[in-house]
Order: sequence, then structure tokens, then C-alpha cells
Amino acid sequence: MFVAAEMRQFQQIFTRPFGLAKGSLCKRVERECKDRHTGMDCRYPEHREVNLGHPPWRLGSGNPCRNDGQNLKLTTLTGGIDLRWFRLIAPLLILSLCCTIVHGKEQEIRLFGWSDYLVQEVLDRFTLETGIRVIYTTYESNESMYAKLKLLDGGGYDLAIPSTYFIDKMRKEGMLQPIDKDKLPHYKNLDPRQLDKPFDPGNHYSIPYLWGTTGIGVYTAKFELRTIQTWADLWKPMFLGRLLLPNDMREVFHVAFRVLGFSGNTTDPAQIRSAYALLKKLLPNVRLFNSDAADVLFVTGEADAGVIWNGAAHRIQREEPAFRYVYPAEGVIIWMDSLVIPKNAPHAELAHRLIDFLLRPDIAKLSSEKVGSATPNAEAVKLLSPELRNDTTVYPSDEVLAKGEYQTDIGASITIYTEYWEKLKAE
Amino acid sequence: MTKLKSTYLALIFGFLYLPMAVLVLFSFNSSKYGLRWESYTLEWYRSLATDETLVWAAFNTLLVATLAASLACVVGTLGAIGIFRYRFKGRAVLQGLLSVTLMSPDIVMAVSLLVLFIALHVKLGFLTLLLSHTTFCLPFVTMTVLSRLEGFDPHLIEAAEDLGADEWQAMRQVVLPLAMPAILAGWLLSFTISLDDVVVSFFVTGPEFEVLPLKIYSMVRLGVKPEVNALASLMFAVSLLVVSSAQCLLQRK
Repeated sequence: MFVAAEMRQFQQIFTRPFGLAKGSLCKRVERECKDRHTGMDCRYPEHREVNLGHPPWRLGSGNPCRNDGQNLKLTTLTGGIDLRWFRLIAPLLILSLCCTIVHGKEQEIRLFGWSDYLVQEVLDRFTLETGIRVIYTTYESNESMYAKLKLLDGGGYDLAIPSTYFIDKMRKEGMLQPIDKDKLPHYKNLDPRQLDKPFDPGNHYSIPYLWGTTGIGVYTAKFELRTIQTWADLWKPMFLGRLLLPNDMREVFHVAFRVLGFSGNTTDPAQIRSAYALLKKLLPNVRLFNSDAADVLFVTGEADAGVIWNGAAHRIQREEPAFRYVYPAEGVIIWMDSLVIPKNAPHAELAHRLIDFLLRPDIAKLSSEKVGSATPNAEAVKLLSPELRNDTTVYPSDEVLAKGEYQTDIGASITIYTEYWEKLKAE
Repeated sequence: MTKLKSTYLALIFGFLYLPMAVLVLFSFNSSKYGLRWESYTLEWYRSLATDETLVWAAFNTLLVATLAASLACVVGTLGAIGIFRYRFKGRAVLQGLLSVTLMSPDIVMAVSLLVLFIALHVKLGFLTLLLSHTTFCLPFVTMTVLSRLEGFDPHLIEAAEDLGADEWQAMRQVVLPLAMPAILAGWLLSFTISLDDVVVSFFVTGPEFEVLPLKIYSMVRLGVKPEVNALASLMFAVSLLVVSSAQCLLQRK
């Protein structure tokens, strides 16, 4: 094990030959701090800017302003022997060192989310303002995120972004820690209509980040808009082999439940069975089940109508003006991606700071614009361009919202769902 | 007949290389969703250059794949030689166990490795990722090398020993050169498997070490960025370069 100071010397020496610091901000900061003859923490947050964008192990974990190994020559360390070849394998060495060494006092936060779901520009600004480095790790589904956090017993990560019923599930299983709203002065910016939902009453464990809906998408060049206004219309024979459904058990069953007039969160086996019977009749119309590339499948003409989430619909509309997103009369499915802090998060305090930062109106606006989903932040909505704010695909009317339904955890009934889902997919 | 042969060949090669050709072509497409050809652009390569997280994820992936493949080759070749050359108790069991790891599903391996690392209190990151990749590459190397070794005449070693070679020399100068093509094949196989592994990597890596397949997989939520096409094209170019230079070197030999 190397101590932090030695570590920094190593990194300094090995990164210099790669010309990384030449003339860059990094060099300038070093000089300024050297002139002050302080070996202490740099008090100027702007000097920390140097950490932006560089992966943790390239510039080293140490604060560059604190660097005390800058006058050290390569040869002094090796006792006069020139180890020039060493530079070739240096990156590997630094890497393995960094990976085995526990980072020192530097403040950092580990974020777990979908790629680009938290906007890099936002995270950079956070680092610039607070000096806290954000390490962003990705997952590809709620299920895999849940599995990993469960195995790690909530440790290792400081912030995750589960969606609707996974929040409910994780909350009930004690995988989350309560969020202290006293530490979130910007919590008041959130739209009360988006708070206190069935998946987390009182928002004790989750803070809304972005939200959206799952409704019907239709390519109006092929089918007239008026032919498809309800979930039940999907069963019309005219859509034979033309529908795209999400490869998501809960969403597909939800549609059938709404047609039958049940709750989308029912746990009654009889209701689940009747939904299965109904879905079996839908199968001839289904071209395929896919959640990953809905936009591509619509634009390439693989499917002409189907169940789709509004973010994808919004993207398709930009390519295909004839594409329309419909809020079905029986009530749309609403989802909410929220920020949560796992139970044993090592830096819960810093996670609170990041959550509060994300709740700032200007930041929430930026996130919403870049990702293309609706923000639950009322102050941020006011800042949006009228064009986006009035886009009904992204921001549905109050009427639509009132009829919509959130998905909550269905507990052990999931096995009944799975059983019928497997049967359905096998046919 | 020759016409049939060449059409068949063209079909096979078209099937193999057309997707890659499309990928490379579309990395120069200015349409953001990469679905229709619009016009020629270098924009994705430019924005790729500024997207450090993506580039570093790619670097991490190549690093782990290279190291894991090399490590698996060393350990796997030794193992294969051991199984081939020596008779000991439990040899058959060992060989059987190898094929079990070869066939066990990724997710089983991933979860069991993660549980093991948690139990041993190993910090998740580069080290755990490297160890895991080496583990699942190992049987591939051992199997390829072993099948090669079993295919050649054991009298060759005896002949070498008759001519005065000791055990080490026989290994070094007879067995190893004969096994070399299999070792290289094992290396390439391991490298490829490591390069596109998602399931095991997701579970065993830590927050500070992200690899490319995970990052790309995770883009499903917002749609895969066109920068990925550019990155994949670059990686394809690099592998093309490596393979062709290897061919050249081998031929000169």
C-alpha cells in the first residue's frame, strides 16, 4: 500500500511525459499554488476545475493544488537510473495502483444510472461549484440495478435512479435510507402534483427527477388518428401484424387491465388470468415485443402503431412528423424516475447536496431539455421554452394526468404475472 | 460450378461484413438517429474526441481484454500442459470441471463471483474485473491448447528426451512451439469474449472502472448515440490493422 503523498508523486511523474499538463490549466494551478508555498488544500474552487473530465486515475486522485511532488525528477526517484522504458508501461501501473488504493480525503460521490440520464454538463457544473467529484456508473435496466444493490447490501453507491415500482419495491425491502428534506432547500420547487404518489407516500425515500408516460404511438400515414384513441382499439383486426409492444411484463398487463377496467396494479389471480386471456387475442396484431429500439422500429416502418413511452415518441416525431402520440381514454401509464439514496451509501451527505443541486430550477431545466423528458420541477417548467412546455407529448394536460396510473410494487404476485407472461410469449 | 462457388463465397462474406460496412458508413452520416442517409459529416468523430468518458471506457475495455487474455493464456497453457503430460489423481475430474465452467451461464458466474468478492472484502474495480475475465477466459484457452496437444505424436517428446533434452527444454523447444497456434487462437478467443462481455462485467466492476459494453447497453433508455458508431468504426480499424500486420509478420517468418 502506498500512502497518498507517494501516490501523487508517482502520478505526477508518470503523467508528465504524456504532455498532459503542458500549458493547460493543470500547470497553471500548480504554479499558483507553489508560489503560495502552501501544501494545504487549495481554497479556490475554480482551481479544482482541473479535475473535470479527466478520469480519476489519469490526473490522480489528489487535489492538484496540494501537489508537493512537483519538483521531483524521475531520476531522483530511481537513484539516477533512467527508466525511460518505464514510461511505456506507466499508464498500466498508475491504473493498477489507483484501483487498489482507497482514495484519500477527496470528496466524491458514486452515482448509479442509465448512460447520459444525468447530463454530463450538469455534473461538471456541480463539481465546479462544490468541488465534489461525481463518478458515474451505468446500468441497463432497473432489474440489474436492483440485483447489484441487493447483493452489495446498499453499499458502494450513493445515489441511484430507479423508476416507479422499483422505488416501491426497494423502499419496502429496506434498501433505501430516508431523505432528509431539511437538507434540500430547493425541494419546494417541485410541483405538488408530482409528489406523494402511491409508490412512495410522503416522498420519504425518493425525490422525483424526470417523469413521463406510456401511451399509444401511431404512424398517421398508415392509420388514421381517429381509429386509435383507446387501449381497446389495439385489438381491432385492422392492426393485424402491425403493432409494437414493449418487452415489459408490467406495461403489457397494465394495458389489458385498463381495458378490462381493473387497476394496473392488481394482485387478484382471477383478474390476472382474464388479462392473459385478453392479451392472447391481441397476439395476432403484435409484430414484435421490444423496448430497446422502439424509435428505430417505427422510423424504419417495422411497425405502424403500438405502446410506446413518450420520450421515444418525442424522438420519432422529430424524424417523422406524421407520427402521433395518443393518450388512451382508459388512462395512460405514468412513470417517475426518482433519486434515491441506498441504505449503506458511503457518502449520503454529499448525495443530499447533489439532489438539492438537481432541484435547482436552472439545472432541472437543463436536465429536462437534454434528456427530452418532463421535469417535475414547477419552477423549471416556467423557464422552459413555450414550444417545449406546450408540447402535449411531453407535458400532458391535468385531465390526462388525473386519469393516469402509477405502477406500484405487486409483491409476491409477480410470480403469477411471470407465469402468464411466459405462456403469452411462448405462443 | 465455379460461379456457384464464388456466389456462395460472396454471400458468406457479405453476411459477415455488410453490417460492419453499414456501421462504418453510418458513422459519417449526419442524421442524428442514423436511420437514413443524409449527408457526409465528421461531427461524430469530433464529439467523440471530446466525450472523455466514452473514450476512457473504450480504453478500459481494451486494457482488461488484453491483460485478461494474456493472463488466461499463461495459466491456461500451463494447465493444459499439466493435464496432457502428467497423470495424477483427479485428473479426469479437473478436466470435467473445466467444461462445466465453459458451459455455465454468465449470470451464474457473475453472481457467484460477486458473492465471493463481497465475502473476501475485495474492493470492486479493475482488479475484480480482471480476475473475473481471466476466470471465464481460462477454460477456452485450456480447451483449445489441450485439443491441439492431444492431436500430436507423444513420441516427439520422448525423441527430444532421447536426444538429451531435459523436461524444461522439451517443453520449451518442442511442446510450446507445437502448441503456439492453439495458444494464439485461445488468446484471440479470450480477447473477443472479454471485449463484449456485459453480464459478468456489470456485476463485478466497481463504480470507478467502467467498460464500454456496459456503457453502450445502458444507452437504451435514451437511444444509442451516433458517437458509438464512430467509436466502433475506430475499434474495427484498429483490429483490422492488428490482424493484417499479424498476417504479414507470420508470412515473413
